[in-house]
Amino acid sequence: MGRKKKKLSKPWCWYCNREFEDEKILIQHQKAKHFKCHICHKKLYTGPGLSIHCMQVHKETIDKVPNSLPNRSNIDIEIYGMEGIPPNDLREHERQKQGSRPANDSGSDEDEPATKRPKPEGLLGNAPGAMPGVPGMVPGMMPPPGMPPGMSMGPMMQMGPMGPHFMHPGMPMMPPHMQQMMSGQSGPPKPLFPSAVPTSSPNGPTPPVVGADFKPISSATISAPPTTNTPGPSSDSSKVPTIATTGAASKIIHPPEDISLEEIRARNPKYSRNLPSKSDDNSSSSSSVTAAEQLAIATSVAQHQVAAAAAAVAVAQHHKQQQDAMNHHNAAVAAAMMHHHHQQQQQHQRGFPVRMGGPPLGMMAAQMRPHQMLPGPPQLIGGPLMRPPPIGMPPGMIGVPPGMVYGAPMFPAGPVLMQPRFR
Amino acid sequence: MFNQSSLGTFGSTSTPSTANPMKDFEVVQPPDDSVSSLAFSPSTLPQNFLIAGSWDNNVRCWEIEQNGTSVPKSMQSCGGPVLDVAWSDDGTKVFMAGCDKQAKMWDLASNQVVQVAMHDAPIKTCHWIKAPNYSCLMTGSWDKTLKFWDTRSPTPMMSINLPERCYCADVDFPMAVVGTAGKQIIVYQLEGKPQEYKKLDSPLKYQHRCVAIFRDKKKSPTGYALGSVEGRVAIQYVNPANPKDNFTFKCHRSNGTPNGYQDIYAVNDIAFHPVHGTLATVGADGSFSFWDKDARTKLKPSELMEQPISRCAFNHNGQIFAYAVSYDWSKGHEFYNTQKKNYIFLRPCYDELKPRTSS
Repeated sequence: MGRKKKKLSKPWCWYCNREFEDEKILIQHQKAKHFKCHICHKKLYTGPGLSIHCMQVHKETIDKVPNSLPNRSNIDIEIYGMEGIPPNDLREHERQKQGSRPANDSGSDEDEPATKRPKPEGLLGNAPGAMPGVPGMVPGMMPPPGMPPGMSMGPMMQMGPMGPHFMHPGMPMMPPHMQQMMSGQSGPPKPLFPSAVPTSSPNGPTPPVVGADFKPISSATISAPPTTNTPGPSSDSSKVPTIATTGAASKIIHPPEDISLEEIRARNPKYSRNLPSKSDDNSSSSSSVTAAEQLAIATSVAQHQVAAAAAAVAVAQHHKQQQDAMNHHNAAVAAAMMHHHHQQQQQHQRGFPVRMGGPPLGMMAAQMRPHQMLPGPPQLIGGPLMRPPPIGMPPGMIGVPPGMVYGAPMFPAGPVLMQPRFR
Repeated sequence: MFNQSSLGTFGSTSTPSTANPMKDFEVVQPPDDSVSSLAFSPSTLPQNFLIAGSWDNNVRCWEIEQNGTSVPKSMQSCGGPVLDVAWSDDGTKVFMAGCDKQAKMWDLASNQVVQVAMHDAPIKTCHWIKAPNYSCLMTGSWDKTLKFWDTRSPTPMMSINLPERCYCADVDFPMAVVGTAGKQIIVYQLEGKPQEYKKLDSPLKYQHRCVAIFRDKKKSPTGYALGSVEGRVAIQYVNPANPKDNFTFKCHRSNGTPNGYQDIYAVNDIAFHPVHGTLATVGADGSFSFWDKDARTKLKPSELMEQPISRCAFNHNGQIFAYAVSYDWSKGHEFYNTQKKNYIFLRPCYDELKPRTSS
């Protein structure tokens, strides 16, 4: 190895001009890249060696060193690592390196990754480099001790004044002191997302940070500036975007249209057929009911009455549940009374509670077949919400857990929240 | 009980083995059409109840017993295909929303259903929010609004305009995340009242399909996993301590290039294990996978099902993994076969989702 120029240049491969850290690696490279027999993959040691091997073993002539540069493909020159390189080429290479080294350490126009590209360390994912720091190890984090998120804070349970607070914006009902109370009640510093503490505390009780005025946090100082990335109102129905497949080597299994699978599916007549009319959101108000719908409603009401009759028979057999039948009857009558102002709606209601009222389970299959569905379910939302009187055991669930008995408080803070009613 | 006439005799014993390659427990009397939504009852109930919304317009409820058997309990109908279901925090109510543009509240005890929300377009997501000072139902719709409903009032308590149609959402108080068409992500904070916290550039290049919030070691919501139609999931911290904490990984793609190119499938759902913090993804390729996002490793892949897996869910203590095998429309209506049965499988999963330990 006498001619290795340690002082300046790294070992390099005469055939492809690649530089290496070490002559050993250069030799490995040459054996793998340039001296390997393409037929039996035996690795030879020199170009003439490869030539002779191919001639003798495979009866083939090799006239060029594989994977070599055009002017360096001479098979007859015996080169092994850095040995055997013609002196002219050696000087030339030296000169080029001298010239380009200050500017570019790794050789300019030659592809020569001196070291292999770093592999991504994670097995998963394409994020470069290290494992993530332990998530959540952000200084200053203070979750409420021992309390899973979503649980109500003890003293905050009965918060009367909080009711109005959560309210349609613009309701001028909140005296200023209430806000203070609000922030005061928030108790210990309880950040929005606890791990976000150091950077932002939007709603926290510490006025200096943002203030208790619910200013959107994006206007506060956050580490990463809020990115409002609106690429314009995409899909304005004029031009339907499509899902472009990534490349020739892959194919995304998705319909070409770039809308969700559910939207595509919902357009299918099988699913859109029974939906309420698309005219407006008020489709079930009686004024917009078309004649066709009336017919459909009448039909389904008739169906439901049949079903109800069947239900009644079955219910009678289960005498234990007679009470429930009564219950449903009451509910139905009550519902009908409440909507007496409009006959059609009344009809609606008469059929409705039978369906909703929870007949014995055995009957459900008979009643609940999808094709018997009302085309447009009646809208109860306008009137007071109906509930049957709490008599006996609920029919719906057989193994009702203790906590699920009818009449359990619906909202822990219900009575208080009930007061403000926004319209 | 649900279907005595049509498929009632179809018991778990007659399930062909190809339909259940993982040999999991099969839920009896599954929906008649694709399963659009799955949810287990919250920890406030001693038993495990599973609800599933379906494209057959119905929401079904089963009790899942410890031995893996499922007992059908009840069913309710909506005026159109159901797109999402949710439980109230106390486990007494089920919310269901869908193509009829309404959300309904099903009181399980009385078996009463009342309408509680209304949109101008189908409702894609519904979630129950339990805050210290309020409770409400959050609905996200293709009418480009996010609305919050007191269940006793016909008008929403609040309505937030979205930049685009709502495609996916998740809620873990005090955080809510909504993914929309046009590849947008909006994070909301729910404390006090819901308000926008951050609007983010998508880390993904393709349509958003599912999102799930994850928690940090202290069990506080700290980020979310976002799945796209291009077989990729992004793990995103809302406030990453280090930009490298956020990363994406590929999943639900065919191995090799059988037809000369690799098939890339949509990620249909993501769920985080409630105890371990590891996650499951299910895809249109018909497989589920368990992952450890902190170690960035795949914990377990599944065999391929006969059909896509449309949704998945963990029960409240992380013992049961439920996944629904049903067509998701990813190959269009041509590949929709009404003859194919829809399955919901239950898998004991607690150990399989344990994070990779360093030992």
